[in-house]
Amino acid sequence: MVSEKPRSGKDARGGGGSDIDRFALTEVVPSPRDFIFVDAERCTGCGNCVAICPMDLWRMRGGRAELAEGYRENCMECGSCYIACEAGAVDFTYPPGGTGVSYRYA
Amino acid sequence: MRKFDLVVVGAGPGGSSAALAAAEAGMDVLLLERSRFPGEKNASGFALSTKAWRDFPFIADLDLPSMRYNRFCVAHILSPPPEMEERFSISSGPSRRMGYPEARDFFTVGMLRREFDQWLADKARTAGATLMLESLVTGLRRESGRVAGVVLEGGEEFAAPVVVGADGVLSATARLSGLREKWRPDQVISACAVDFEAPRERMDDVIHEAGFQAYFGPGIGGNYLVAYADGVHLGGPGVTNSLVSRLNRSHVKPARELLDTIAAPPTRRLLRALEARPREWQAHLLPWMDRMPTNIYTGGLMLVGDAAGLPEPLYAEGVWQAMYSGRLAAQVAMECLEEGDLSAASLARYLERLEESPVGKEFVGGAELRRLFEILGDPRLSRELTEMAVDLTVNLFMSAQEPKAECVARALPVLAENLPALMEVARIYLPMILQVEGERLRGHLAVLKGLAAALGGGAVGSGDAEA
Repeated sequence: MVSEKPRSGKDARGGGGSDIDRFALTEVVPSPRDFIFVDAERCTGCGNCVAICPMDLWRMRGGRAELAEGYRENCMECGSCYIACEAGAVDFTYPPGGTGVSYRYA
Repeated sequence: MRKFDLVVVGAGPGGSSAALAAAEAGMDVLLLERSRFPGEKNASGFALSTKAWRDFPFIADLDLPSMRYNRFCVAHILSPPPEMEERFSISSGPSRRMGYPEARDFFTVGMLRREFDQWLADKARTAGATLMLESLVTGLRRESGRVAGVVLEGGEEFAAPVVVGADGVLSATARLSGLREKWRPDQVISACAVDFEAPRERMDDVIHEAGFQAYFGPGIGGNYLVAYADGVHLGGPGVTNSLVSRLNRSHVKPARELLDTIAAPPTRRLLRALEARPREWQAHLLPWMDRMPTNIYTGGLMLVGDAAGLPEPLYAEGVWQAMYSGRLAAQVAMECLEEGDLSAASLARYLERLEESPVGKEFVGGAELRRLFEILGDPRLSRELTEMAVDLTVNLFMSAQEPKAECVARALPVLAENLPALMEVARIYLPMILQVEGERLRGHLAVLKGLAAALGGGAVGSGDAEA
């Protein structure tokens, strides 16, 4: 009976995804104006925006979704929150030309 | 107010291809881009497929610092989380039976969008198009009910009898024209990627030309590695997940799932061997339609590329589609301008030609392929098929663990046991193949039917395959 699988060489610890700091690895020219708009009245608290945001910029508070105040400094403009919202409570437009997320290695 | 023959919104591959074709034909073209340089806003791990070499002669001139030829694809089947260790892998160069020389030579070439998009936009500009950066379109001009130009944030207006909307998955021109308010969650994928920098010598030694690698397995949705000259992208989640299926799966975050896959032992070993360091984090939506969208034009406006939802239905490859549809839209615009009719009825030829083109053909069988991947994503079937593949290959060709005859004897019953699963897969592929190739393949199908009958199956001949 094999109790523990033998693994050769260096074990799998270290490197990989756990030490990836998403915030340090993105460059954003902050937009001077808002470009995501939340209609709190329409929010049903489904949590889709919280689940889908690649930068964790949404929180649930009192059963409703709340966008981080400083989102303009971290938002990647993917629009996932806008598409995922089942209640149509999130509106998304682009930030002004020349601002927003900047990919150099995409 | 300045007037142009054509305004193109978005200087990605679709917009620049449209602007290039129109400018080469002598049209006065304005190409608008919201970012500081073309390619700044794109993400997800780009590799250009051989189709671009087949269809665009100028692509033969491509010579960018980030280019790496992908002549070898690897599919890693991992064991289920949390272990996620190598269980089975398939790897191959391109088929020698492909229909044009480049397709027999390589699959894709990985390169950075920052370089490629600027290269293509420069070509359009050299051909005579006017490129305006940092210009966000927030409105459309209208004349007698038709789109007749654009309005920038800040109020500046540009008039043109026809506009090409090449403004990506969250297309403002689609929304402003009323063609599409927004995609449904089941029509898009949320793709995240980490770009890693790696020394060129490490890349040459470890990756060489294995420039596309995918990671599948029970509970693993198809993450991928795309290689460049001096680094790799690890992206995902892949082909078994639309936004809606992800949301339904108890809110597993795509970003978290990608980071978990990067943390899987095989990926960590590879990154260590490459001496790779994370360089950039990226996220983007991709349209992912199982049928080609038809609401992609209206009076005075045509949508191309991601704005039109044209990425193909299996891997959401979209750059060649954007280039092809962009050039086609420019050709249709020229014809309609000469005829003096930019109405929706006149622009309808854009959709007709696109449906008949290779871009449209990619959608034939799209829904079936999607279903196949959903089926293969099922943890039980995924595990059964993986173990079947292990039994067949290892026992027939590779194992020295038991006497040879016993190894072979172990392999054969595995096929019979897995016949139902294999038939499930065949039922999806066969009707699609028949739809595309029809008569030519009926002879081959008869052979398969005979084989299935001999094995006591018979499921191949049932259902849609007869239609």
